[in-house]
Amino acid sequence: MPYDVTITRLPLRALFDLKGTATALAAWCGTALPPFPDRPNSRMEAAGRGLCWTGPDRWLLMAALAEEATLAKALRSEQAPDDLSVTLVSDTLTFFAVTGPDATEVMAVVTPLDLHPDIFPQDGAAWTEAFGIRSATRRIAAGYEIAVDRSYADWFEESLRRAST
Amino acid sequence: MLLIDCPFCGPRNESEFSFGGPALTPRPSDPAAVSDADWVDWLTVPPNPMGLVEERWWHARGCGSWLTICRHTVTHEITEVRLGR
Ligand SMILES: [Zn+2]
Repeated sequence: MPYDVTITRLPLRALFDLKGTATALAAWCGTALPPFPDRPNSRMEAAGRGLCWTGPDRWLLMAALAEEATLAKALRSEQAPDDLSVTLVSDTLTFFAVTGPDATEVMAVVTPLDLHPDIFPQDGAAWTEAFGIRSATRRIAAGYEIAVDRSYADWFEESLRRAST
Repeated sequence: MLLIDCPFCGPRNESEFSFGGPALTPRPSDPAAVSDADWVDWLTVPPNPMGLVEERWWHARGCGSWLTICRHTVTHEITEVRLGR
């Protein structure tokens, strides 16, 4: 029986990989960033920009692609001090949305991540596995968003479709 | 499959991690003062008791941390996980 889900390949977005302490990054990036998430593997959003805390001193900043140039200018990656790094990685990941009433059922096939709301709540965002490859997964209003390395995108989309039917 | 309780991420499947080898005792500060046999032992012979071993694991598909875990070689029970060494 097919699952009641919709698989959508999402457009490219502006992505910055940030490394460093929250204090050092906040000092360098100033108002360009949303407030820092205070729980590991969670996300804060402000003014359409999302900031995920993905590891000790590791963060992933997302925004609409149209904001890429503005953000790059504000974050001044080339001049960043030695204790942090700011890297533009917009073209490295392809994003998919898995939405609909059965989204969690399909995700249970896709990833071993514990998706129980107590463990992975509404603001959950984490690097994990999806079909055996590294993926950045987070909750969205109607389901989940999964990002994988772009070179895997076609195979990954096909795998998502097979898992949903 | 091991379930490794990453201090940052919580319990995750072993498949998210890469094995980083045994957590060796610190490198002898003066290798010249160590006998050849002891040096070879330190360098190439991992501890392999029927019991607890310390191992390094990299959370490569998760938070990117290097962990040290204490694992029982018979039961695979993990009694300790810590960030770093
Ligand atoms: Zn982790």
